[in-house]
Amino acid sequence: MQGRLLLITWLAMAGVAQAAPHEHGVPAAEGRAKPAAWSALPLLLPVGGRGGERDGAQLRPVGIAASELLVFAPDGSQKSYPVDAEGARIRSAAPTQGNYHWVLAREETPTHVGIASTTWYFSNPGPAPAKLLARQKAELEITPSPLPREHGSYRESEKWRFAVLFMGQALAGKSLRMETEGGSRSVVQTDQNGIATVLFPRDFAASKGGGHGRPKMNFVLAVEHEAGGKHYRTTFNHTYTPDADRNRSLAWGGAFLLVGMLGAVPLLRRRAANNQRPEA
Amino acid sequence: MLKALFPTLSRVRFAVQVVMLFVTVYGSVLVGTYMADKLSNNLPALSCAYDQMNGGYCVLIPTQHILHHRIGEAIVRAQQLTFGMVLPLLMSFVAFFAFFFVLGKAFCGWVCPLGTLQEIVGRVGRRFGIGLRRLEDGDLVAARRVRPVKWLLLLGLVFLLPLLTGLGVTPHALGNPYCDLCPSRIATTLLTGNTEQLAVHLGDGWSFALGATGNTIIGFMLIGGLAIRQPFCRICPMLAFNTLFQRLSPCRLVKTRHANCGTCRICTEACPMDIPEISLEDGRKAYSEDCTLCGRCAEYCPQDGTIRLKWGPLTLFSSQRNYYKTKVQRELPDGTVKPVRFVRKPGSADHA
Repeated sequence: MQGRLLLITWLAMAGVAQAAPHEHGVPAAEGRAKPAAWSALPLLLPVGGRGGERDGAQLRPVGIAASELLVFAPDGSQKSYPVDAEGARIRSAAPTQGNYHWVLAREETPTHVGIASTTWYFSNPGPAPAKLLARQKAELEITPSPLPREHGSYRESEKWRFAVLFMGQALAGKSLRMETEGGSRSVVQTDQNGIATVLFPRDFAASKGGGHGRPKMNFVLAVEHEAGGKHYRTTFNHTYTPDADRNRSLAWGGAFLLVGMLGAVPLLRRRAANNQRPEA
Repeated sequence: MLKALFPTLSRVRFAVQVVMLFVTVYGSVLVGTYMADKLSNNLPALSCAYDQMNGGYCVLIPTQHILHHRIGEAIVRAQQLTFGMVLPLLMSFVAFFAFFFVLGKAFCGWVCPLGTLQEIVGRVGRRFGIGLRRLEDGDLVAARRVRPVKWLLLLGLVFLLPLLTGLGVTPHALGNPYCDLCPSRIATTLLTGNTEQLAVHLGDGWSFALGATGNTIIGFMLIGGLAIRQPFCRICPMLAFNTLFQRLSPCRLVKTRHANCGTCRICTEACPMDIPEISLEDGRKAYSEDCTLCGRCAEYCPQDGTIRLKWGPLTLFSSQRNYYKTKVQRELPDGTVKPVRFVRKPGSADHA
């Protein structure tokens, strides 16, 4: 099934590719959902935002002509979901198995392989994603190292590490491009272990900061690689949240800490001598 | 060798506390980064979920979240009753009890990182000669009334407000109100070098009020802890939570009556929670709701076999007169360490 869909995708894309020239062997735009306003890179975007159901979600491939989404579960299983005009409805591996799942969309021509990837967190309990991240899921991969913990998130002003791998091997000296919904653009190089340390830009509008249901913006990382006469381009997109400091005050925190300390100072006075307990 | 390293029960307990402080604050380096790797998210100790480096976290946050996000919302939807409401809460309680069953309330006295930090503050107070204040007649007698506060915090902040928030009655900022007050949140995240939790939320009035109260509590605890032993433990809802299951754990405190009970009162003096029942009562009443199973009362009881720490039929530690005599030479019941005195050896003046 997966192979047939890939073949159909490949045939469709081959026709498109012959119709119009393009750079780096990337197929022309026909057949793809319109790119997001903030980035021309391929993305997997949730329909209706992240959150919602505990064991299901709807994702829409954008800027990539993918006929299916592949979902890799933390238990090692994988399943494909067809993409229609509304995107694809994906589910967790089993009703009781949640935690991080890896979602991937793929387009392929004889000269180009395009991958859009993201993760989806199903809030039911499930195995830790360590094996999921270690497993090879595509030729060229951007792998978070690590993913944010379940109640955590990528945040402005934080540095996070991403591994760039080709055929499971680290790619040193590669340029990893970052684009954010806030309008930031940056490029970082991978080190000798294929690790790129990405600084999340502080680009939320001031009005968007803070709160428990804090706002999120999208970001995408992209890497390109040539091998065996093919051009590979892989993206990883997710969301990030405002810097926690935006809506917090360390000064107020320190002030109330001091109030508490001062309130306890009277306790440091010694008891009156007539109240002292006799020595045991 | 072991005897030299751990000559007393207190020393064993302190070693366990230091190890558990590492596990509960920095334990991810041992067990892994992700929540699924953690020891549990239902520990009977204030090991904080806001600390991204911990090795497991406390039962109070999933309890608040389940009441807020699942039970409250499920009641509103009036569907998925079994899978949406009962099972998650039941699983959370079962996981909690699986841990609690082993150590019972000893989680408070031996594992809780906030308890350990308060004891360290208290030791600093004793070292610097700050007079000990007790919640008893003749001293802070009014403060004795704080005993029910832990129940109010458990019922109000851990159970009721999250449920009301899930039902849509109270604002979203009151979804996990206890965590917003908890000093362990601030203390353990500071230990990882993160000042985020010390900073107060400015988002809305409720968040600001809860955060400000939390900071005031930890400020009070840091200074008050120099004079009062374990100040926060006395109002801790985790202690109340553990008390709910106190009689169900095989780990417990057992006291039999002795003729001197109620007169010498050294056990109450040694108790970091100033529990009068341990000297005045016996049997079930002596094992008070405030007991953290630290074992100091058993260490300082001068009567053989009067106070015992037991696990099922096994006696883990029993009071002994000889042990008491040795112990009290090193440290007084209130925790004051006896100063080391340098005395001239008899006859040494002749050699000078």
